[in-house]
Amino acid sequence: MNSEEIQAIFFVECEEALAATETAINACRDGSADAETINAIFRAVHSIKGGAGAFGFDALQAFTHAFETLLSDVRDGAVQVTDALVQLMLRALDTLSDHVTAVREGGEAPLDAQLLQELHAAQAQNPTAQAATPAEEAPSADVTAIMDDMIDDLDFDLDAMLSDLGAPDAAQDDDEWMVHIRPSDAAMRNGGEPVLLLQALERLGGRGIACATQGVPMLETLDPEQARMDWTFAMPSTVSEAEVSDIFDFVADDYLIAFDTPLDPMPEAAPAPVEVAPVTDLPPPSPVDPVAVADPQPAAPIDAPATRSAQPGSRSAGQSVRIDLSKLDRLIDSVGELVIAQAMMSERLSRHGLGAIEELVLLDGLTRDIQESAMAIRAQPIGAVFSRVPRTLRELETTTGKKVTLKVSGEQTELDKTVVERLGDPLTHLIRNAVDHGLETPEERIAAGKPAEGTLTLSAEQRSGRVIIRVADDGRGLNRERILEKAIDKGLVDPQAQLSNEDIDNLIFAPGFSTAATISSVSGRGVGMDVVRQNVKELGGRISIETQPGQGTAFVLALPLTLAIADGMIVTVGDQTLVIPLAHVVESLRPTAGQVKSLGASRRMLNVRGQFIPVIPLDQAVGARGAKVSPTEAVLVIVETEDAGQAALLVDGICDQRQFVIKSLDTHYRSVDGVAGATILGDGRVALIADVDTIVANAQARAQLPEAA
Amino acid sequence: MQTITLPARCDRASLIDLLSQLRAAAGEPVMVDGGKVEQAGQALLQMLVSLRKSQPESMILPSPALRDIARTAVLDRFLFDEASQ
Repeated sequence: MNSEEIQAIFFVECEEALAATETAINACRDGSADAETINAIFRAVHSIKGGAGAFGFDALQAFTHAFETLLSDVRDGAVQVTDALVQLMLRALDTLSDHVTAVREGGEAPLDAQLLQELHAAQAQNPTAQAATPAEEAPSADVTAIMDDMIDDLDFDLDAMLSDLGAPDAAQDDDEWMVHIRPSDAAMRNGGEPVLLLQALERLGGRGIACATQGVPMLETLDPEQARMDWTFAMPSTVSEAEVSDIFDFVADDYLIAFDTPLDPMPEAAPAPVEVAPVTDLPPPSPVDPVAVADPQPAAPIDAPATRSAQPGSRSAGQSVRIDLSKLDRLIDSVGELVIAQAMMSERLSRHGLGAIEELVLLDGLTRDIQESAMAIRAQPIGAVFSRVPRTLRELETTTGKKVTLKVSGEQTELDKTVVERLGDPLTHLIRNAVDHGLETPEERIAAGKPAEGTLTLSAEQRSGRVIIRVADDGRGLNRERILEKAIDKGLVDPQAQLSNEDIDNLIFAPGFSTAATISSVSGRGVGMDVVRQNVKELGGRISIETQPGQGTAFVLALPLTLAIADGMIVTVGDQTLVIPLAHVVESLRPTAGQVKSLGASRRMLNVRGQFIPVIPLDQAVGARGAKVSPTEAVLVIVETEDAGQAALLVDGICDQRQFVIKSLDTHYRSVDGVAGATILGDGRVALIADVDTIVANAQARAQLPEAA
Repeated sequence: MQTITLPARCDRASLIDLLSQLRAAAGEPVMVDGGKVEQAGQALLQMLVSLRKSQPESMILPSPALRDIARTAVLDRFLFDEASQ
């Protein structure tokens, strides 16, 4: 494992620690916190501090130190948990999160001077707070001088000797204790730097007592890749062994750490050195096996309980593996090819009357299993996106003065990694809009007989092969009169147009639309909702609105589980075979002559249980030749679209309904209007995937041109 | 006395070059000018310790950063005292 991989683990653990901290602080906010809650915050912040020290992230470490010191006071009961303290902790959490992001992405550390002052001010009431401040004093000259005299005397008890000599620094803290550190070769080979960890010990208040250098060979035999020194540090009694262990947490396997009980002396380099370090700690042989440098589990450590590799096995090794995303994508590609190959074999066998043989059925099941397993590897819980929401809400509360309670469910619902990554922006837009536009001010809510604090509900669930995400508020609901008025003002809608409630609701997705009286930093620029819809569409999803005046609004996102493989209806249109994504399909039918009505010279409408929807011949959209033109001889596939409601696509016939592998036209050819991509059919032919939204929207636009003229 | 100048950032590559130069000195004392050093770690400290063992008469001139790193590692007196005298 190299240093980048170790750092990656650190950042994963940072995220977990930040999430744990947020949960615990929210418990404090709700009044459900107990002693363990504060302990959980302390441990999480402390853990980040340890890693920060190990990797030399000074700004992060300094901030966590200040935060942790305050938490220590809270844990000890010296500082009471008040609303003000909770707010301070929440802001500290946000800044801590920014610090972690800064070191992870190599950006600038956040400005935290003001907050550090507040953290210090909050802890200043605690008279014991200063005890946690690291002592920065260097070893005194006196002690060092005494130690200098001992260089030839390797067989001594350091603590006893200092005590006997009345060394002033040692006498300052009778409870000072020793930690012995020996980096292994791996500590240097992996790009790690042991000196950074020594500096971290200093920041904890430790001071270097001795460096054993007898293992360093002469220049002729020196190998710069080998670690040949070890150290003894004196730690103040205010620092625990756990705090020291935390420093080495992320490089545990590369160090041998011993508390109080000295390490076995490192073997002397041959030939015997002419000189040794001025301060050398070579204690009597201990029961600890020095071979343990390379072994996190020292052999037979029964009588050396204080010696261990730092926190070995503290992580649940073996439960997960990290894998390069490109390797995973190659696997997904191969699985896609397997799905195609399986379909081709099925097609060929069917031609010979062997389409239902047991082996083929077995292969079909296995292929689907492999495909689902491969997709599951890419799947991530949507909680990764939901976890950012509390912070967004806190910022919105500050900006808008509104109070919001967040309710979340379905965080474990899994989505493709790409979808999860690209969902963050649209979700943030929706939440900002919900708080800024949807929720009333506390005064308005009280006047309306509602609780002063609004509620935002985030939920996710898997339904019919799609993931449904709801962002709902209990605010005032959409004001349709105002939306329509605004749309007419902006020329988005003809004043004479008769729009359904759903049509009016959807106007908020129109480019440039906004009903906000003033443009705020939160929303009101009229670009947000348009971008949201575009983002969701790019993810292969759809967004719809449910709103009740006075009761609130919900935005419902329906997203595909994966972007690589989908279910589709295989249809023929003239000389072409097309795929219509099943997500759009409502039903299919062959109409009677009475169900189809002509509208003008070229338009036809289908009467579906009293509702008229336009009939759109698919051959025109894809340039197919020889397609059927009469709806009564063909098949109409009724589809639901994003903007244009329902439409009936005219196709010659339906061949099959199956999974298909989506191949990007952009990658292999170029973007084509009305075509969402391509796939390979079982007979080896390439079929285009219909971009239903665009095809219907284009057809509607063409149909309206003569009318406009 | 041959002078060998340390770079500001003493990474592994520069240390390999430094070791070659020290070995090439063939046992003669050298002056190691570390006045520009800003970043160093255990590998450089070990090399300097090895130099002091191999050639006690060699001198090492540290930068403030190098001296501070050596102080943390409890090696400042061993490595630099002769230079500061």
